[in-house]
Amino acid sequence: MNDRQELFAALREAVLGGDDAAAGRLAGEALAGGAPSLEAVERGLVPGIHEAGRLWEEGEYFLPELVTAAQAMKAAMAVLQPALAGAGHGYSIGRVVIGTVEGDIHDIGKSLVATMLSANGFSVVDEGAGVPAGRFLDRAREVDADLVCASALLTTTMPRQKELAAALRSSGLRARLMVGGAPVTRSWSEAIGADGWADNALAAVAVARRLAASGASD
Amino acid sequence: MLLDGGFGSMLIAAGLEAGRAPEWWNLEHPERVGAIHRAYFEAGSDVVHTNTFGANPLRLAAGGLGGRCREINAAAAAIARRSRLGRGLVAGDVGPTGHMLPPLGTATIEEFRAAFREQAEALAAAGVDLISIETMSDLREARAAVEAARATGLAVHASMTFESRPRGCFTIMGDPLVASLRALVEAGADAVGCNCSVTSAAMVAMVAQAAPAVPVPVSAQPNAGAPTVTPDGVVYDASPEAFARDLAAMVDAGASLVGGCCGTTPEFIRRARSVLDARETR
Repeated sequence: MNDRQELFAALREAVLGGDDAAAGRLAGEALAGGAPSLEAVERGLVPGIHEAGRLWEEGEYFLPELVTAAQAMKAAMAVLQPALAGAGHGYSIGRVVIGTVEGDIHDIGKSLVATMLSANGFSVVDEGAGVPAGRFLDRAREVDADLVCASALLTTTMPRQKELAAALRSSGLRARLMVGGAPVTRSWSEAIGADGWADNALAAVAVARRLAASGASD
Repeated sequence: MLLDGGFGSMLIAAGLEAGRAPEWWNLEHPERVGAIHRAYFEAGSDVVHTNTFGANPLRLAAGGLGGRCREINAAAAAIARRSRLGRGLVAGDVGPTGHMLPPLGTATIEEFRAAFREQAEALAAAGVDLISIETMSDLREARAAVEAARATGLAVHASMTFESRPRGCFTIMGDPLVASLRALVEAGADAVGCNCSVTSAAMVAMVAQAAPAVPVPVSAQPNAGAPTVTPDGVVYDASPEAFARDLAAMVDAGASLVGGCCGTTPEFIRRARSVLDARETR
């Protein structure tokens, strides 16, 4: 195993272990050693975050481990970003506006999705909790969002997602809508005309990739 | 001992508006809150929890009730005490702050300690019989609550929310069942247990793991089955009869305090009372 492969393996371990200092440092070392930035992402960071996701799905990793892994990936991405942009990769898969709907204060899941999306190459604007539909749209317009993600944790605030879906449709904005939250189901998502739905942060990343790609090809 | 059942859905059934902090009703509709306590006592509960699940200063601020911690906890305790029948006990209910410690959030343990201290002191001053901490998902937060509650001199019950994973039962933060309950005992809890998130059938196994491993009485307050979202709101699928049988199984597995969480009603407690009483007289 040559030095570059060892470096990528160490990057993977740093992400998996949630060591943001090491991840940032190793990303810098990779660049200094002449490694292509995209390779560092795809052979170092991505395997690390995917393994963290697998462990989460198997009930071995819990929220803290997943969050620190995503934070380590973000730290490495911050170091690699200029090189990625310079090499023409402009590693932003898409621009996302995310928040929990109006009247709802729950945000663990939403914040986790935001972190995972950001760690996976999206530019994410997190509007927080209790976000009125108007603010989702204003921000989406401002950043030319590819995707709006809206979370609702209460059955009583789910109707806000329906409201947002209708407002987004009539706004003329090109952003797709993904909804989530514990009580949110596929049939609810379809009934309100959302473009996608996810019930966990990893699925959210997969759905977001699909929606962003389909938007780009319009 | 038989605790009470779910409160939130009872308030909603009594007219609480969606998204409104339940604690408001201690001030605005004390008689409706008291009626729910009385219904649980009449159904056979030995203990009711005050309507103060979110009445710590951090959570109250988020619900438009900032600065009113003492007032709300005092009002809630008074309502519960007035609703007592005979020898019923009133537990001062302490729920999570709603804030996250690192790495998920930026809260500090000192903020948590201060918040729990303020709430526990208010409940103690208002005459509750014990402090009951519940639905905790982070052991660090639960410990801070236990320490604050202990400082009042009252008996402390502390319950956390666990889920079943291939490797065992853990909170969403990854705190393991037995180790966490032991840590709470070390922090000074007089009784510990689990509540919420899990059906009564699933909680029997948790009690079976916890009770032999912990040197104090163990509690169990499961949900009324699994929730489904319907146009009329959330519906839980367990029957009171099955629930009551599961509670009896938990007692057999070593639980000393049992009750219900989300979706349970006085009917669940009534059935539990008759099943438990029938066991006593065998």
